Amino acid sequence: MRAFLLRLRRNEEEARPPHAYLGALGGAGLLALSIVFIVGGYELGVGSPRRLGTGAFPVITGFILAVLSLIVIAADLRNTEDAERPDWISFAAIGAALAVFALTVGRIGLVPGAFLTVITASLPDPSLPILGKLVLAASVSLACWALFIGLIGLPFAPFGGV
Amino acid sequence: MEILAGFGNGLLVALQPENLLYCFVGVFLGTFIGVLPGIGSMAAISMILPLTFYLEPTSALVMIAGVYYGAEYGGSIASILMNIPGTPSSSITCIDGYPMARDGRAGIALFGSAVASFGGGIIGMIVMAVLAPGLAELALNFGPTEYFAVILLGLVAASAVSNGNPIKGITMVVAGLMLGTVGVDITTGAERFTMGIPEMRDGVHLVIVAMGLFGVGELIVSIRANAKGALQNEIDYKKFYPSRAQWKAMFAPILRGSGIGSFFGALPGTGQTVASAVAYAVEKKVSPNRESFGKGAIEGVAVPEAANNSATQTAFIPTLTLGVPGSASMALVIGALMMYGIVPGPRLLVEHSDLFWGLVASFLIGNILLLILNIPLIGLWVRLLKIPYRYMYPTIIVLICIGVYSLNNNVFDVWLTMAFGWAGYLMRLFRFEPAPFLIGFVIGPMMEEQLRRAMLLSRGDATVFLTRPISGALIAITVLLLIYAIASALRARRRAAQATDVSSEIEAPSTSNKG
Repeated sequence: MRAFLLRLRRNEEEARPPHAYLGALGGAGLLALSIVFIVGGYELGVGSPRRLGTGAFPVITGFILAVLSLIVIAADLRNTEDAERPDWISFAAIGAALAVFALTVGRIGLVPGAFLTVITASLPDPSLPILGKLVLAASVSLACWALFIGLIGLPFAPFGGV
Repeated sequence: MEILAGFGNGLLVALQPENLLYCFVGVFLGTFIGVLPGIGSMAAISMILPLTFYLEPTSALVMIAGVYYGAEYGGSIASILMNIPGTPSSSITCIDGYPMARDGRAGIALFGSAVASFGGGIIGMIVMAVLAPGLAELALNFGPTEYFAVILLGLVAASAVSNGNPIKGITMVVAGLMLGTVGVDITTGAERFTMGIPEMRDGVHLVIVAMGLFGVGELIVSIRANAKGALQNEIDYKKFYPSRAQWKAMFAPILRGSGIGSFFGALPGTGQTVASAVAYAVEKKVSPNRESFGKGAIEGVAVPEAANNSATQTAFIPTLTLGVPGSASMALVIGALMMYGIVPGPRLLVEHSDLFWGLVASFLIGNILLLILNIPLIGLWVRLLKIPYRYMYPTIIVLICIGVYSLNNNVFDVWLTMAFGWAGYLMRLFRFEPAPFLIGFVIGPMMEEQLRRAMLLSRGDATVFLTRPISGALIAITVLLLIYAIASALRARRRAAQATDVSSEIEAPSTSNKG
């Protein structure tokens, strides 16, 4: 597992940084979003100039956003600079950690939920051995128990479902 | 006279034991979070916001403000000791602060920056106390048409002038305005874009957007940036008291820095980063000691810190008197006020004068606390920076999860935070700024309401925005600003293409933590 992660990291380090035209992808995403709001806004009703309807503001901003994202796409496609190198491993691990918290906290309680969240977040970090991860996760989850349930009294169940 | 009376009154509010306590807690937590590399004041405020919901509005605002300038100050500790700016605006402090720390003068640099922050904060506070009431009085005559124009100007200034690509900045503002419409329409009661999900009826909570875009998004970026390890070398922070010559050297730069900082802080859109960059550049031209700039000059630490902190205070002027935030942090302040049912704007000074003057006075107390707090605690911050990041970020993730979950005790909010966190990372990757998005998101509903009112009053005639004198002038300024921003961006690109060796001298030494 560890060797695999190290190799994955190395591949990511060595890979050539992608060109900024990836930014055009961001523009395309915004364009798609603006179309959703334009269509949805028309369905909600734009009203009259005197009495702007529920859908008017989404349609107006949607149209402006559509034009701007087309400009962004055009500009980024001509851009030849190197982009920042993405860190997809951390991207996935942090997202997964939030997902683990969302899935566990109501079912098995805050303490095991926080434990698994820490393990998930630190999983791809090769600089921390498994034992260290377990110790970190145990101390964080116990500290959360003491602080958030014991001291502040947030409505969490320490173990088990709500 | 009126100002003095208001300020005296505010001092009484701020000195109430509980407000004093929240000010202290805010400053302490803000500094604590600000010191952590890769997490700026934005993430700090959004992490603290859920805690303030149980407080009375004045205490909450005092605490949020404390977190804000505490985090700004904490950011400069990380930049001086490690050359990693904790907040983007403290990247200028790195230029001279880090060489000072390397020479074994870390203690003096830290103390100097605390004193400069204090001086800047006090001057910024005075500017705010003097200017805000007048501006509010002027704005009391504004109708919806003028308001719409002010908001438009604020949004364009905040997105186009700040940094990076103006087109992308405006794109993000508009995207924020658009997504701000999700939820129930306050005017008609109709649901918009909720996809039938009951949790979406109230729209996406501001804390979720901020925590996702800034907390989670910055965290993903900072994991690799901090993989190289924590603070290694021994820091000599015992010797912290500057010599008499150093005091003298700092005095004028602090005044100049505060003046420049107060000016830029009050303008919507420019904010602390521009303030400290301009102040540093000016100081480098006028200082008698200009050759040693960049090699560890104490003036080079004092100037950006004074400018940064005075801008932090004056940024509250347009935020509270016009309801137009100049930065993403100020957008959070507005969002927090609206959660209490307080509408920021010219009426705030009349209807909630206790809150306004209490806040102003709390700046004074908070800055004193910051100074007192940081002399004994420098050792603690140094030790905090020695904790490897691999222990830090999984812990922060758990804290973020607990924070957003407790907003409504609902896991749906955690899922949304995940989505916004990923979006925040992708924005940084694709070089879109998340800050204008947040500003648009907060201001969207207000802007829509003013637009609807203005159109109703003018019987559907959109030219009213151009024909009414104040709004016409504001729209004209907006257009000029837009042209200027785009033209200067084009010029910068052409110049960069012509000569690659002309590297800007006020460029940040480490750009990994752009927020």
